[in-house]
Amino acid sequence: MLACEILLLAYLASAQIYLPKPAPEPSEYGKVVLDNYPGTEPGAVVFDHWLHRSKFTCRVCHVDVGFAMEANATGINARTNREGFHCGACHDGKKMFEGKTIFAACSAAPRDERCDRCHSLGKRGVRKYEYKEFTARFPKGIYGVDWEAAEKSGIIKPADFVEGLSVNTAKMKNRKDFSVEAAFPWVHPIDFSHAKHSLWNGCELCHPEIFPIAEKGTLHFSMFSNIEGHYCGACHGKVAFPLNNCQSCHPRAPAWVPYPGR
Amino acid sequence: MVLKAKFKATTVAVLLSMGLALYSVRAIGGPSASAAQADAAQESWQKEFDSICAQTEDAMTFSQAELTDLIRRCDNLQPRIEKLDESRKKVHLERLRKCRGLYAYVLDAKRLDSKAKEKK
Repeated sequence: MLACEILLLAYLASAQIYLPKPAPEPSEYGKVVLDNYPGTEPGAVVFDHWLHRSKFTCRVCHVDVGFAMEANATGINARTNREGFHCGACHDGKKMFEGKTIFAACSAAPRDERCDRCHSLGKRGVRKYEYKEFTARFPKGIYGVDWEAAEKSGIIKPADFVEGLSVNTAKMKNRKDFSVEAAFPWVHPIDFSHAKHSLWNGCELCHPEIFPIAEKGTLHFSMFSNIEGHYCGACHGKVAFPLNNCQSCHPRAPAWVPYPGR
Repeated sequence: MVLKAKFKATTVAVLLSMGLALYSVRAIGGPSASAAQADAAQESWQKEFDSICAQTEDAMTFSQAELTDLIRRCDNLQPRIEKLDESRKKVHLERLRKCRGLYAYVLDAKRLDSKAKEKK
């Protein structure tokens, strides 16, 4: 009996440890620091997902342009940027977006304040866009911008093509949504929308790397693995809405306490 | 005798000038010809790359034979991309890996699905 109680307590304690941490402030959420050459000028790059995801799909950057899903894993450097790859795929000083020329990343010009727009870690007032002003007109959810609603309402129209790197693809024909039954009776099933996910991600962003098992019903993942950054947690909890937002995946689950005022 | 020597000298001179002329033509034509060849090679791998990776969104609609063929084309293209310059190689190898990975994944899914149907 005592052993059972100890086991139960240990299980509950581990579950407690594995509860999703509160999401950071929306302005900090999805922030990636790229520091391939620590301690050297012009310093580390701070990349804010909220700025770029309002303009581009996830797929175009993580598939066509080739950015890895982990910071510092892509091998970006000034040379690849200057040659029109990675950041330079768009930031080439020639391409236009919404009527403006996109500034060139890592141009051969002498170092000036333009470098600090990206190489901004620890520098104040060097960035052009701030979260609050930039997202002021976007619909908000309990964890910051509701990107799905923003796209639905037409406020954002994420581009899915980068000239010179993207390939013209047909739109996906087979996008069946499905329900995922949980292994435990007290966990509400997941309503997974292939349509929503493939719209922003395409197919090859998730398969096979994030969801590798091809046989139906054989992939057993849990909230624990999600919290550790696997499966759904590869995006949710890092960039896409946080794992605390239970009802977005488990629509029949009780609501989590919202963070007011975001 | 003198005539023979003169003929020999003329022949050598003609041959030398012809050789020099041929060499010059090659030297002048060299860079542009190799640039054209490089352009053609670039166009050729890029066309194949675009053709393969343009079909990822349709992967689920392909037969097992079509998917196997796409995987074979990815494998054939890889060594050609490996010969490109560093930046181009870095980006396109990663992209090709993703395309191939998806086709292999869908092929696996279809094979397993067929096996499951056979069992029933």
